[in-house]
Amino acid sequence: MMLRTDKLSKRLGSFSLREISLEVARGDYYVLLGRSGAGKTQLLELICGLTSPGSGRVFLEGEDITWKKPQERGIGLVFQDLALFPHYSVKDNIMYPLRMRDLTLKERVDRVQHAAAEMNITDLLLRKPDTLSGGEKQRVALARTLVTEPRILLLDEPMASVDASLKDNIRRMLRRLNRNGLTIVHVTHDFGEAISLATRVGVMHNGRIIQEGTPAEVFNQPVNRFVARYAGIKNFFRVTFITSYNRASGITEKRTRFRLPKGIYPSAGLLIIGSSEVLLSRQGAAGIQINNIHGVIDDIVPSPTGYEITVNAGDYFYADITHREMEENNFVTGEKVIVSFRPESLRLVGEGEDKKEY
Amino acid sequence: MKGHSLFHWVFTILASLVLLFIIAPLAGMFLDSSLTEVRTTAADPDVIRSVWYTLAVAFAATLLFAVGAVPLSWIMARREFPLKKVVQGIIDLPVVLPHTAAGIALLGFISREGLLGGAAKKAGILLVNNGAGIALAMAFVSLPFLINAARDGFAAVPERTEKAALTLGASPSRIFFTVSLPQAWRSVVSGFIMMFARGMSEFGAVVIIAYHPMTAPVLIYDRFNTYGLTSARPASIIFILVALFFFILFRVLATEKREIFRREDDATD
Repeated sequence: MMLRTDKLSKRLGSFSLREISLEVARGDYYVLLGRSGAGKTQLLELICGLTSPGSGRVFLEGEDITWKKPQERGIGLVFQDLALFPHYSVKDNIMYPLRMRDLTLKERVDRVQHAAAEMNITDLLLRKPDTLSGGEKQRVALARTLVTEPRILLLDEPMASVDASLKDNIRRMLRRLNRNGLTIVHVTHDFGEAISLATRVGVMHNGRIIQEGTPAEVFNQPVNRFVARYAGIKNFFRVTFITSYNRASGITEKRTRFRLPKGIYPSAGLLIIGSSEVLLSRQGAAGIQINNIHGVIDDIVPSPTGYEITVNAGDYFYADITHREMEENNFVTGEKVIVSFRPESLRLVGEGEDKKEY
Repeated sequence: MKGHSLFHWVFTILASLVLLFIIAPLAGMFLDSSLTEVRTTAADPDVIRSVWYTLAVAFAATLLFAVGAVPLSWIMARREFPLKKVVQGIIDLPVVLPHTAAGIALLGFISREGLLGGAAKKAGILLVNNGAGIALAMAFVSLPFLINAARDGFAAVPERTEKAALTLGASPSRIFFTVSLPQAWRSVVSGFIMMFARGMSEFGAVVIIAYHPMTAPVLIYDRFNTYGLTSARPASIIFILVALFFFILFRVLATEKREIFRREDDATD
């Protein structure tokens, strides 16, 4: 195991990190996903030793580094605001960590040149940070950290200061670093970033890691509404489960009834369904005999792939429809429609967190 | 003028009155003194000696106390500790104290019977009526200017750059000299110049500690008491001109130094 934290806790004013235990294997690309204020940056600073924990321990390659000085940990951290030294040139920024090492001038210069070539910033070496774009600064900050040959690289929102058009470049670069064997812990609030880079994902909320696993595990089997929302799911229904005539159903407080596939269900829980799996029609969708729910179109909003339609059926449903479907059906606000979906589209989300916090 | 409100005119007039209040006495002093008087006074060895002496002692005091004042300002900018506000109050105290009272307090401390004076006496140094005592008096009243300016400079340094240096393997002392101080340099130099300027113009505390050797402000006071306004005026003009010259010179040098740093940076690239 490359990095392991054992019940790491820290109180920071009214906020606290609570018993964070995470494991990052050698070569993993671990994405820590959470909203701002979830405690992601504080966790990185604890791992780096920039702040000390109230309790718990940090292990790096099996060694307990909880109380080791940050400058002796061999952990590379790239801050969200990059923290380049404004009074140094790009070259001197990258050279900075090498000045503390027992290297000849030639070795230092060679390492700077190599890192600059790797990050494609050779032509920026004489510039000052305040003359660089967000993407260039990002690459300089990465080069400055990578020359230290860190045992593990921690990235705090690395795409935050990068133009959308350059994000792909940075993503490719990070993937390449990881492929070359560098273990990376990457903090972000962006679900897309997590999906595109992670080999493992941890979802953080209110100072705790609430779910951990591969991206497929986390996004296909979210443990609660918060994680599901990250996966782009909007249709959540708190239901009570009942069985009648050997058939399971979930019933919401507003009396919406969901017919479920055969299975074992708790007495109550949260059902989710992807917006793309919700079908809209005027007569009921072809081939769907059950789960046809009457409602009224409440709102129609353009989306990147077509439209998102909100239907008020007592409970609210969100349906994604394509431009072609819209042209064929010409739905309008206020119109009566039937919301349909297959029982297999319904997923039961784990409980626990939800009961308390949502 | 079209477009300017009554508010604009009232503020312009009030601001001009304040500026006039500063300029008028100084201009009057220059206009009331003849060039011959100034030339004669400039040739007076007592005047020349006291001006140089004042500059040298003020500079030495500033330099010496900067060694402790700069770390103190960094602590005030970066560390949280109990009674921090009380410490800030102590730093600002010399600004609000009557300077003669500060001189009296300091005299008790550095006289032969005082804590510091007693220790210095054992080492064979007398602090009263001596350059060392004058330097202490100048430093006592002018230290807040350096500490507060440098503190604001350090506070403005992004803390993340210091944290980044730490993760890159730098020790705290290296971070101070390579990351914090270079970024706060402008404020530290500005505070240094203000402390120097305030120290050399100090009269109240200095006159209590040492009438002799005479600093320029004490000499001007002495001339005024002994010979009157006409005799004190040319000495004042000379001191003001010399002080202004050095004040401007240090500011220019500080700017030049930054430029040199920049050029050296580029040269190493």
